[in-house]
Amino acid sequence: MSEIENNNLNTAEAEAETAQEVGGNLPPMPQSSEDKKFRGIKMSYEKRKAMYGYGFIALWFVGSIYFFIAPLIQSLIYSFHQTKIVQGGMEMSNPGFKNYYNAFRKDQYYVPALTAMIKDTLLNTPLIIVFSVFIAVILNQKFKGRTAARAIFFLPVIIATGPVIDIINGNMSTGGYSGGSEQFSTMFETNLVDDLLNFLGIYNISDKLTEIISTLTSDIMNLVWKCGIQILLFLSALQGIPYSAKEAASMEGATAWEYFWKITVPYISPMLIAALVYTIVDSFVDPGNEVMTLVLNQSKQWEHGYSAALAWAYFAIVGVILAIVLAIINRFVYYEVE
Amino acid sequence: MATKKEEKQFEKERKAAMKARMARMKAEGLENYFTPDQIRYNRNQRILGAVWPVFRALILFGLGFVIMYPLMFMLSTAFRPNDQMTDPSIVWLPKSLTFDNVKQTAEVMKVSYWDWGHPLENTVLNTIVLNVVASVLQVITCSITGYGFARFKFKGRNAFFALVLLMIIVPPQITTIPLYLQYAYFKLFGIIPLYASNGERLSIINSGLTMYLPAIFANGIKAGLFIYIFRQFFRGLPKELEDAAYLDGCGPFETYVKIMVPNAKTSFLTVFLFSIVWYWNDFYVSSSFFTENRTMALMLKNLDAALQQQLFDGQTVSIRQIIVWLESGCLLAILPILVMYTFLQKYFVEGVERSGLTGM
Repeated sequence: MSEIENNNLNTAEAEAETAQEVGGNLPPMPQSSEDKKFRGIKMSYEKRKAMYGYGFIALWFVGSIYFFIAPLIQSLIYSFHQTKIVQGGMEMSNPGFKNYYNAFRKDQYYVPALTAMIKDTLLNTPLIIVFSVFIAVILNQKFKGRTAARAIFFLPVIIATGPVIDIINGNMSTGGYSGGSEQFSTMFETNLVDDLLNFLGIYNISDKLTEIISTLTSDIMNLVWKCGIQILLFLSALQGIPYSAKEAASMEGATAWEYFWKITVPYISPMLIAALVYTIVDSFVDPGNEVMTLVLNQSKQWEHGYSAALAWAYFAIVGVILAIVLAIINRFVYYEVE
Repeated sequence: MATKKEEKQFEKERKAAMKARMARMKAEGLENYFTPDQIRYNRNQRILGAVWPVFRALILFGLGFVIMYPLMFMLSTAFRPNDQMTDPSIVWLPKSLTFDNVKQTAEVMKVSYWDWGHPLENTVLNTIVLNVVASVLQVITCSITGYGFARFKFKGRNAFFALVLLMIIVPPQITTIPLYLQYAYFKLFGIIPLYASNGERLSIINSGLTMYLPAIFANGIKAGLFIYIFRQFFRGLPKELEDAAYLDGCGPFETYVKIMVPNAKTSFLTVFLFSIVWYWNDFYVSSSFFTENRTMALMLKNLDAALQQQLFDGQTVSIRQIIVWLESGCLLAILPILVMYTFLQKYFVEGVERSGLTGM
């Protein structure tokens, strides 16, 4: 009896194997016809490769259901409920849009923080991009001490994501020490800018402009410390510029300025998207920004439903901004291949 | 092929010849050789070539200073006796150096770089073990996933890949609370509830599993980004490599292990280093899943409270009074990462350059 069962099992296994080899639920091909067999194998090869593809991503997909999709949906559900932590999980009541309504109509901090955050991001992102392109171009040139310069400019990559730099900066400001950017910005004294503009005969816009310039220079520390990854990305794009393009440009007598706009910018434009997405997302998820602080504070006060609603509204808005920015930028990107 | 030394020699000779030719042409009058436009262009290039390096040096030095400034401050204060913090005559160099701050802070943070006697109570070792294990797991699984996306065509590939992109964009703050509950009331495969020996539901909060489990399933910190990097890299490798392996009768997984992995060494190292750095610096995710301060970043984040408790007998002190200890803590916390960076610095840069991130 057991033998028969065993046999059955074996055949079943073998069948399953062949079925998998042939691909999906195709019946096993008759062995006699050479032609059909050949076709069967050819089809199975494609399908088998597809199956292997699923196999390679299976681990990740299973994991992402448990570690990513389920929590994501769960938090979306929280955001529509009043929540309470109880033994064994989360107790939810009062379904509806109440959390969202409260966030936008009753919370006195959320909307101002949101607008400030968006304004900041829109102002800072182009700045970071331009700055990192500039630094990347410089670091791509050949000069003595380039390795050391690169090492210093990538230092923020390994430190800036951690708590260390916040603590040092906090200590410097509470200790009454002027930070690096203040030292740096003495070069750009606001009066100097003002004087220059007055000298040029521009009076009315100077206030606004001075303000912008002074915030930029006094913030140069943050700027430099936020640029590490972007510089890295642009540098890798710069390495990808083929030598033939450089040669052609110098044969045609292109100036450095022309070379930058006609060769460098088109070649690094695909990386622009990556850098943009990274910059926007990075400033969005930075635990130090105002909206994130609000979200985390609500979460600390056990208002998880409300916290989730704040986060989701924020996430949706940033997503829309990201989509718009990408749609605009994508029209100017130059792809060499395709 | 000329050797590098010869190349340099040739380059030198070429430059000398150019110079001699220019001098000769100048003596005969440049107008005979070039159009006015060309003369102007050459002159401009020459001026730029002389002036630009000076500017470049200034810019790099200035910005390098801005970057190094906080670190110099950290070094200057970490070894300064506390009473010299209020001395207005000291800006950078303290009058005397002391190691007491560092020693006391190391005790408070339970950090020890010199005594490896109590491995379980040493925060450094804990952090290193946690980071390395999680990073190794994460690199392996992310590379497998990235390879699947790069080289196999299957239905819904784009949809799956959109999920990877979503993982990059969605901040961990959104998913942490539900994840916490999943961990606190842990179910095997998400279905079978497990019970601890005392009859309560098993919780994996506070255990390293909260870091290892996502890493095993390619869902650790910044996993989406790593999958993306690996996909880009594997796409850039020539297909012939694999075809040869297939012809020789290797299965896809065997091909991946024997052919693709050796070819992707630098990429692996780069991703591994980034993974280490991100795990080391992370305090949001770990503070959600560890209620005890077990990692370096968590210790540092709560250092001021711990200092007040242990060095000042629970008195409230202002940040100003404990700056030297805080800075010593910062120094202790980034020391391993800095050491790693100085030795492996070129892999951060070159690895990314070569890893095919370019083809975004």
